[in-house]
Amino acid sequence: MTIASVTQLICFVALSLTLVLGALGVVLLPNIVYSAFLLAGVFLSVAGLYLLLNASFVAAAQVLVYVGAVNVLILFAIMLVNKKEAMAEIPGLLLRRVLSGAVCLGLFLLLLRVDLTTPWAVPGPTPLGEDATTLIGIHLFSDYLLPFELASVLLLMAMIGAIVLARRDVYSSDVITGEAADQGLIEKERTPLLLESPPRDTTLLEKV
Amino acid sequence: MTVFCTLAGGGAPAITALQLNAGAIAPESAVLVALLACLLVDLAGEEAASRWVPPICYGGLGTALVLLALQWNAPLEPSFLGSFLADNLAIAFRGVVAASTLLSLLISWRYVERSGTPVGEYAAILLAATLGAMFLCGATDLVSIFISLETLSVSSYLLSGYMKRDARSGEAALKYLLVGSAAAAVFLYGASLLYGLTGGETSLEAVGVALQTSATPVTALALVFVLATVAFKIAAVPFHQWTPDVYEGSPTPVVAFLSVGSKAAGFALALRLLVGCFESFDAQWKVLFTVLAVLSMTLGNVVALAQTSMKRMLAYSSIGQAGFVMIGLVCGTEDGYAAMVLYMAAYLFMNLGAFACIILFSLRTGSDRISDYAGLYQKDPLITLGLSLCLLSLGGIPPMLGFFGKIYLFFAGWADQQYLLVVVGLITSVVSIYYYISVIKMMVVKEPQEASDVVKAYPEISWSLTGMQPLRAALVGCVLVTAIGGILSNPLFTWANSAVAGTPMLQHAIAASESAVAALG
Repeated sequence: MTIASVTQLICFVALSLTLVLGALGVVLLPNIVYSAFLLAGVFLSVAGLYLLLNASFVAAAQVLVYVGAVNVLILFAIMLVNKKEAMAEIPGLLLRRVLSGAVCLGLFLLLLRVDLTTPWAVPGPTPLGEDATTLIGIHLFSDYLLPFELASVLLLMAMIGAIVLARRDVYSSDVITGEAADQGLIEKERTPLLLESPPRDTTLLEKV
Repeated sequence: MTVFCTLAGGGAPAITALQLNAGAIAPESAVLVALLACLLVDLAGEEAASRWVPPICYGGLGTALVLLALQWNAPLEPSFLGSFLADNLAIAFRGVVAASTLLSLLISWRYVERSGTPVGEYAAILLAATLGAMFLCGATDLVSIFISLETLSVSSYLLSGYMKRDARSGEAALKYLLVGSAAAAVFLYGASLLYGLTGGETSLEAVGVALQTSATPVTALALVFVLATVAFKIAAVPFHQWTPDVYEGSPTPVVAFLSVGSKAAGFALALRLLVGCFESFDAQWKVLFTVLAVLSMTLGNVVALAQTSMKRMLAYSSIGQAGFVMIGLVCGTEDGYAAMVLYMAAYLFMNLGAFACIILFSLRTGSDRISDYAGLYQKDPLITLGLSLCLLSLGGIPPMLGFFGKIYLFFAGWADQQYLLVVVGLITSVVSIYYYISVIKMMVVKEPQEASDVVKAYPEISWSLTGMQPLRAALVGCVLVTAIGGILSNPLFTWANSAVAGTPMLQHAIAASESAVAALG
């Protein structure tokens, strides 16, 4: 066993342990802020596993997208909600936990079975390593040029839309006549859509 | 315009001096330029925007339509290294999309300004949706399809939530976003399976070749996933649950676009994916689509009977209309495809005409309840006439454009022995005539003293405000085409037939199915 493979093994074990323990923490800890931070740890260790697999571009993307964007967004959402409220006791909680645990275990066993019965082509294709980034670049500017350019329109529109929807313009008026406007549908509701149904079950929202 | 793309890189595949054929997307570029111009003009303030954005949009979309017309029957070459193909089918559907945006914009200025929401961004987002829909019509690889689908979808979510201070609009946007994201995820899963089957290719051609040799359960799964996405986009039952709520809560001009432009793009995607790729699963997807069509026609038209809101009624009616168009898709004959194209074009005019009337009515009265239309002919003959003609056309009453579209669909279905579909279509058309006529009856038959309070307090008709003239132009134009187009529909038939004739993919599918029939007989 060379020193390289030993290092690799140690890294793999350490990353896997962080990953599994972190994931368990995300699910089991009662405090949602801890869960969110642990989720970042999970994402980072997945990025580490990608690095071990010689996929440095995917690892970088993983860190940028999941840790940098998704996780920060989750934390923002948690901190914006920031509501201290005693949650109502859910009936039959133990049974629910056992049931969902059983479902997860079943899925895990299924995956394990697939893993053990599939005739894997070992060793797989040789990893490109550092060339991968170059190759992705070439693809983006040759056969995937059109979707790449269109994605920029998509992002521009998403950004503008988000600004329009989030902007707090309190005074709005009809530009042509100068009348005050309410930024609502012209068809005013006479039998309100939301009030037609009985008041919603609010416990559902709190559970989320 | 031919662009030579040269690449130099260590270990790069030999992609040097390949033709990009960027000219194929010239119409989309015109739309994109208009989009950016709208955003720039919007920087100068709301007043400048409301003055300059409309002409910019007309210019962009008009140029796009002219460029599309110039592309008609041009020699076919895949552009962007196989990401996009401007065959006649794509051109026809892109034309329908661009025209639907143009008409939707004509009827939206006054609506948007009246509600006090920014005009420039509205036009820009609608143009982005158009861009996505147009690319979707011609996209020929899985990545392009996904990105254009997302451009269309994300813009549609934004537009349906555009009246942000209205709870209904917010509800519509949230529902659309959640259901739409689920559909996008399902498509992505199906696409990843297809990608795996080809062994690392994303072009639809490679997918089609790979599907011919593989008949594993994975393929069936991929088919179901892809089909679900298409059904979601065209709002086929049982993937329709979002439609009524989104149509009721979205701004009405947006509904007009969603019901025509977005649906046309969905049908183009269906043709491209199902006819182009899943040729070896012809029988399977046709059975599935038969079920979807029967369910859509039945549920859409029957539930529409019970609606009290005009927008909601048109939502269910659009589900039913999508069911009719699916007959053409299931046939898989030359007539079937041509009837689809023709009906989409007819639907463009009659549906947008109806929406123009509804928007005009709600601008004047602030209501979209069907009972509020009672006795309208006394106060507003134009809306009464326009809405009556468009609804009659949607119902398929003879001299109108919709009748010829529908009869062509039924004829194609009957010729291909799809008796179940045609019979269900005929019965549900009769049902649909009932609810269309009941609106007309409400407007025309009621005595002046029976008129609704809204109509009794009807404001004086004036077209002087900015934004009313385009609305009137769109209304009159759509109603004229709907009314006269039926009698003079021969050019439309020719156009639809040449759209099918100029599309190698469809010709190939037709030839394959004919040879299969010959082998059986």
